[in-house]
Amino acid sequence: MRIWRNKRKTDRNEKDQVKDDSFQVLLQQLTESDEFTQFTYASRSSMLCIGYYSSLIDTEILHRDILPYLKELELISSLPNVIPIEEVTLEKNTTVIQDQLLRGHVLIFDTNNLNQVGLAKASVERTRQVTIPEVEFSVVGPKEAFVESLDTNINLVRKRLPLPELIIKELQIGKISKTRVSVLYIEGIANKENVNTVIQRLSELKVDQINDSSYLTQLIQDNQNSPFPQLIDTERPDRIASVLGDGKVAILVDGAPHGLIGPTTFFEFFSAFEDYFLNWTVASFFRLVRFFAVLFSILVTPIYVAVLTYHYELIPKDMLSTLITSRSAIPLPPILEALVLELTIELLREAGARLPTKVGQTIGIVGGIVIGTASVEAGLTSNVLLIIVALGALASFTTPVYQMGNTIRLIRFPFLLMAHYIGLLGVAVSFCFLLIHLLRLSSLGRPFLEPFYPLRVQDLKDSLIRLPFSKQSKRPILEQTEDTVRFNTAKAKEKNE
Amino acid sequence: MFELEKKEMQISPFLVFFNIHAVQVGVGVLGFQRVIMKSAGNDSWIVVLVAGIIVSFIIWLMYVLLNRHQKDIVEIHKDLFGKWIGGMISFIWIIYWLMIGMVTLRNYIEIVEVWMFPTINIYMFSLIFIILAYYCVTGGFRIVAGLSFLGVCIPFYLFFTFLFPIEFAHFRNLLPIWNHSIKEITLSTKDMILGYLGFSTLLMYYPNIKHPKKSHKWAQLGNILTMVIYLFILIVTIGFFSEKQVSKQIWATLSLWKIVEMPFVERFEYIGITSWVLIILPNICFSVWASTKGIRKIFNLKSKKVVVVTLGILFCVTVAVQGRENIALLSKTMSYLGICLIFIYMPLLTLISFLLSKIRRGKFEKGN
Repeated sequence: MRIWRNKRKTDRNEKDQVKDDSFQVLLQQLTESDEFTQFTYASRSSMLCIGYYSSLIDTEILHRDILPYLKELELISSLPNVIPIEEVTLEKNTTVIQDQLLRGHVLIFDTNNLNQVGLAKASVERTRQVTIPEVEFSVVGPKEAFVESLDTNINLVRKRLPLPELIIKELQIGKISKTRVSVLYIEGIANKENVNTVIQRLSELKVDQINDSSYLTQLIQDNQNSPFPQLIDTERPDRIASVLGDGKVAILVDGAPHGLIGPTTFFEFFSAFEDYFLNWTVASFFRLVRFFAVLFSILVTPIYVAVLTYHYELIPKDMLSTLITSRSAIPLPPILEALVLELTIELLREAGARLPTKVGQTIGIVGGIVIGTASVEAGLTSNVLLIIVALGALASFTTPVYQMGNTIRLIRFPFLLMAHYIGLLGVAVSFCFLLIHLLRLSSLGRPFLEPFYPLRVQDLKDSLIRLPFSKQSKRPILEQTEDTVRFNTAKAKEKNE
Repeated sequence: MFELEKKEMQISPFLVFFNIHAVQVGVGVLGFQRVIMKSAGNDSWIVVLVAGIIVSFIIWLMYVLLNRHQKDIVEIHKDLFGKWIGGMISFIWIIYWLMIGMVTLRNYIEIVEVWMFPTINIYMFSLIFIILAYYCVTGGFRIVAGLSFLGVCIPFYLFFTFLFPIEFAHFRNLLPIWNHSIKEITLSTKDMILGYLGFSTLLMYYPNIKHPKKSHKWAQLGNILTMVIYLFILIVTIGFFSEKQVSKQIWATLSLWKIVEMPFVERFEYIGITSWVLIILPNICFSVWASTKGIRKIFNLKSKKVVVVTLGILFCVTVAVQGRENIALLSKTMSYLGICLIFIYMPLLTLISFLLSKIRRGKFEKGN
């Protein structure tokens, strides 16, 4: 994706103006594409000409709902009254005509009267069916995932929130892809500031193509150089519906089976939507496990390297003998041993991700069992480290949001190198760097480490742990919602009595 | 005259609790016992209390001054003494703040040298800290305060490890109470004050607090937490070591950690020193932030290069001061400067502020 240079932009603008000149020129330009179908059709009073992009329209609609009614047509201006389709318009502006044609409209005009032409919508969208979520799979709960069609996606959200207050603002982004991007929020709950930030950032974008929502994450997040994603990427319509109720803003992109959510916090990336389907005790436990897994995944290999390189005094006597027996025959220093293994895991992951599923499984077996056992038997790595690295990799896969999982795997490497350089101090220093980085991050201008910094006790109820729904009567402070109360527990109690 | 900071750069009042506490607790905690027990012996816990109360009084005094002016100290100086003299006095404060950073970093590096890495490259190691501080300070005051908050919360688990030595402690060492003269107590109180220094950066970040008047009680509580931690560690030390043993331990706290034993870890002082990075980093960041802001205000500079210059000075001094005696000299100079500024100059300044405003008001009324 290239950002358009100014010179090219003006060139294109000039061309646009030339095109504006007449309908004839437009027709000529359209017919240059072989896919553009054009034929004449005799009505009762005149000769009509019909044109469309054959790949974009549904021929059934054309034959059933448009052509038969054209027979009766007397004047082109009465077209909207004749054709039984809701979107029939009369247009003069050639740019609009061109746009509509590209969106699957059928062009109808009188060959004798080119002043006004009719456009009837007969678009067909070829998308896949709504399927079960694969990235954010959950055992219990709804099994719908977004697809590539924006309208289907909006439908999936809206049917969960039958509210007139659910506002959908549509923008068009991308010079050549002209991608439809929708911003979703609930009026009266979402903070206007957040909505405006999103809309402003989106409308200021100067790009030629948006092929997926992940393009947008990278383009509009607060710090674009940070490896940490600052907008949550989700494929679950139920998650989007739920966070809209929290006062967040969602972005859906046409052609992208993932929606974006903001503002968000670091801790939200470790909450799976399934947490809300389970009892709060279980869900809280799982969240803590996940968070522990992240710390484990980042720190455990560096600590191994640091301890074995510099601070073997730290290990108690009984444990030391285990380590020594496993490492006695290894010719490599701990850092190389660890790097080789970590890179092997990354290779396996990358190979598994690029290959078709069936071959991918074979890779897993070859990598996991053969390489692992063989390298220990060959004396290249110690089996303790093998366990540690494998556990670390496993732990990093528990992160519910895919992008965050990648980040966790990436930041292990600087930790490793620092651990080799100054041992445990290196780990501590890298950890400080990570903390400062997280402190500096923000999501749509809201602090990323909330609710811990700034400390907001009220928001702790849905961060590392998830308290029962009855305790969640207030919306999080993070979003600065206009209506802070979700439901009134006191009133609910009165009613029950 | 409300010239407080922009809202994005402000912190909520209760964070002052962590700020005050974070700056006070530095490397001092690792080795304060020997210094104060030299003259006060087993009555040192009284010293900790007395020093804490004195500091508490000074914090109150600072709030009296700051609440009257609603400005940071550089501007108060400008108001009271004019641009030149005021600027000069402010500059002394800036040197003092910068020295806090230097002393903390240098002492920490010395501990690392002695306990963990005898051959560590001081240049590289301090450079790493300088880079960290740069990254933190350029983020603005909110980030510095945030780091101090995390720097208090995350390493807090360390204080639970001092429960291990209690198993072997003889608390009868505390008896008899009050077997030292007032003179001895006063002498070691002066030494103990060093452990509490650093809270004066409050004079600089006062305008960055959202409802500054409400933050007073948090500042006092922060000081009390520091006092409690010192007291706790000191009592454990008195119970665990005899007075003679302590006199031979430069870093008695670290020696305490040696006794900690868990199934997966021994020699806990390594982990302690490592975790201490998170405690001293906010210290350095605060001192750099305060001096940077001071320099910017005195010389009316806006550029980000001021941070680089401040950090550059910090780096040069840290690297240049070598050897136990020189480090001790640096710490001593800092503590004298601190005691002069805080215990002599601060009350004086508050008094002057009162008097001057009365005189000026008198003139104003006469003029009318």
